[in-house]
Amino acid sequence: MSTPALELSGLKKSFGKAEIIRGIDLSIGKSERHAVIGPNGAGKSTLFNLITARFQPTAGTVKLHGEDLIGLEPYQINRKGLSRSFQITNIFPKMTVFENVRCALLWSQGYKYSFWNLVNRSRDLTEGAEAILEQINLTERRNLPAGTLSYAEQRALEIGITIAGGADVIMLDEPTAGMSHSETDYITDLIMKVTEGKTLIMVEHDMGVVFGLADRISVLVYGEIIATGKPEEVRGDPKVQEAYLGAALEAEH
Amino acid sequence: MTDQITTDPTKPSERMRAGSMTLSLGPWIVAAVLLAVLPFIFTNNSSITIMNQMWITVIFALAYNMLLGQGGMLSFGHAVYAGVGGFACMHIMNASDFFAALPLPVLPVFGGLFGMGLAMIVGSFSTRSAGTVFAMISLGVGELIAACSVIIVAFFGGEEGVSGDRTYARPFFGTEFLQQIEVYYLISAWVLIAAALMYLWSRTPVGRMANAVRDNPERAEFLGYSARWVRFYSFVASGFFAGIAGGLFAINYEILTEENLNTTSSGVILLVTFLGGVGFFFGPIIGAIAFTLLQTVLSLQTELWAFYAGTLFVATVMFFPGGLAGLMMMHVPVFKLGKARLLILPYLKTLLPALIGILGLSALVEMVFHVRHAAYGDDEMTLFWTTFNSHDILPWVVALGVTAIALGITRANAPALRDAWNEANTAGGSA
Repeated sequence: MSTPALELSGLKKSFGKAEIIRGIDLSIGKSERHAVIGPNGAGKSTLFNLITARFQPTAGTVKLHGEDLIGLEPYQINRKGLSRSFQITNIFPKMTVFENVRCALLWSQGYKYSFWNLVNRSRDLTEGAEAILEQINLTERRNLPAGTLSYAEQRALEIGITIAGGADVIMLDEPTAGMSHSETDYITDLIMKVTEGKTLIMVEHDMGVVFGLADRISVLVYGEIIATGKPEEVRGDPKVQEAYLGAALEAEH
Repeated sequence: MTDQITTDPTKPSERMRAGSMTLSLGPWIVAAVLLAVLPFIFTNNSSITIMNQMWITVIFALAYNMLLGQGGMLSFGHAVYAGVGGFACMHIMNASDFFAALPLPVLPVFGGLFGMGLAMIVGSFSTRSAGTVFAMISLGVGELIAACSVIIVAFFGGEEGVSGDRTYARPFFGTEFLQQIEVYYLISAWVLIAAALMYLWSRTPVGRMANAVRDNPERAEFLGYSARWVRFYSFVASGFFAGIAGGLFAINYEILTEENLNTTSSGVILLVTFLGGVGFFFGPIIGAIAFTLLQTVLSLQTELWAFYAGTLFVATVMFFPGGLAGLMMMHVPVFKLGKARLLILPYLKTLLPALIGILGLSALVEMVFHVRHAAYGDDEMTLFWTTFNSHDILPWVVALGVTAIALGITRANAPALRDAWNEANTAGGSA
C-alpha cells in the first residue's frame, strides 16, 4: 500500500497540566475526504493547529507523504503541499479579492522573494487567479476589498486562498460555521468541486455537511479518537452515539 | 460601501486595463517635466535650496514608507540608515584619489549600499517580529548609533561632523557641480529614479507579500512565505533607499553631523510620512513637500513653526489617519459619481470660516508668545500685515471675536457639509 497522505502517531498536546490531545493515531489516505467531528472542546482545532505547526506537540509525530513535519515552520509545511483554512476567517481584508488569491499563488508559481518580476506583467498569475475566482464564484467581486465581502463570500474566498497554491492536502476548519442553510449548501458544493482528487481533512459541526462530503469520519472526544470509519459505521457505533452523535442528531431534528 | 465601482471583468479589454493601469507612465512624465521646469519658475537660490531639501526628503520618506505603510513596521530610528549612507559618502569625497575618478552622480549608490549593509545587520535580528518589538529595537539601535557619533570619531567626526567638497569629483560631462542648480538636477534625476524603483518594488512578488504580511502575517505563513524574510527584504530595500537619500544629503550640504542620525531626525521622517499618508504610494511625497514648506517658509514667518507642525501632526493622527493623500483619495468616489459639484458650496461655507478661525487661533498664540517673550518695552508686533500694541486690549478683543465667530460659523455649517458629503457619495439620483 502507498504511503498515506497524512499520518499521525501518538500525538499529544498539553497546556500546562491540561492535556488537550491525549494520544492520537490516525492515517488518512490519498484523495480521501476525511471529517473530524466531536463535541465542543474536544480538541479538534487544537489537532489542526498541531498538524500545521501553529502549536508544537508535546509528543508524537506528524507525517505528510511519509515526511516528518515536526519542528518545521508553517511556511515550510505549506511548501510541502499542505494548506489550511481557519475557523475564524483569515484573509487579507485590506487587499482586493483578486490580490488575495494572487498572493496565494505567488510561492507555488515560483516567484518566491523575487524583486525582479512585476506581478502585473505575469499572465500566469493573472490567469491563475482569475481561474480560482471563477471556481469560487467571486469573479464579480474581483476588485472589492476582501473585508467588505459578506461572511459567506469571505469563507469562500478563504477556501479559494487555501486551494490556490495547488496543495494536495487541504485542511478546512469549520468551513460552514455560522452560515445559513443556503450558504451551507453553497459552500458544500464548492468544497466538493475544489477538492476533487485531493486529500481533504475537515473539522465540521454540521452533520449534513459531514455525511454528505466525507468518505471517512473520525470522532474526537476529550482529546482521543473513539471511532474512525465510514459514515454509516460511525453513525451506528454505540460509543459514538453515547458520547456525541445522539445528542447532536437530536438537536438536528 | 454598497456601491461597486468595479471594472467589468467579463470584458477582456477591461480586464487588461484593471491589471495594468497601475503601471501607467502618465504621472511619471508629469513629475519629470515638473522637476525640469520648476527651477525656471522659482529662480532664486533660496527656492532651489528648499527644493533640493524637499526632494531628498521625498526619497527618505518614500523609503521610510516601504516599512511603515507597505510593511506595517514602525521604525523609530530610521535616520541612522540615511545618516550612515551620508557619512560613507562624505568619506568617499575625502578619499581624493578614488573620488577624483568617480563621477558625482554615482556617489549616492555608495550611500545606498552602506545604508543597505547596516540594514542587513540590524534587520537580521530586528525583523523577527513586527509591532512593539520591532519598534523598540529600532529605537534602541537608533540611539546606539547616534551615541556612537561622539565615540567613533574616525567615522562620525565627533561633534563637528564630517565635511568635504563635492567639486573634487570627476567632472560629469563637463559639469563640476559648483552651482546649486546643477546639484538640483542631480537630485531631481535621483528622486525620479529612486521613486520609480520603489514604486516598481511595491509591484513585485516580495513587495506584494510585504502588504500581505502587514495585514495578516499568519495567513502569509500558511501561503508559503516566511513573514520574517519578507520583513527582512523590505527592511534592507528601505535601508538602501534611505542611504541614497543620505548620499544626496552629503552632496547637497557637504557636511554630515550627529543631527543626521539622532532620534529627532527619525521622528521627523515619521511625521513627514504620516502627514502625507501611509496608505498610498504618493502619500510620503506630498508629506515631504508639505513639511519642507512648513519648515522653511513658515519658519521665516514665525518662531513657533514647530508648534504648528506638531499641532498639524496631532490633528492628522486624530482626524485624518489617512493623511493628506487619504484626504485626497477620499474624493475619488465622489468624482467617479460625478457629484463633486455638490460639495463646492458646503466646502466654501465650512472651510473658509474654519481657515479664518485657525488663523485667528494662531494670532492669539502669537500674541501670547509676544507678550510673554518679547523684550521689555517692546510692545509693538506685526501680524497679518497689521502693526499693533500687543499690550492693548483692542487687538485681543478683535482676535478673540473673529476667532469665536469664525469657529461658530464653522460649527453651524458643518452638519450641512456632512449631509452634502453623504449625498455626494451615494450613487443614483437625488436620493
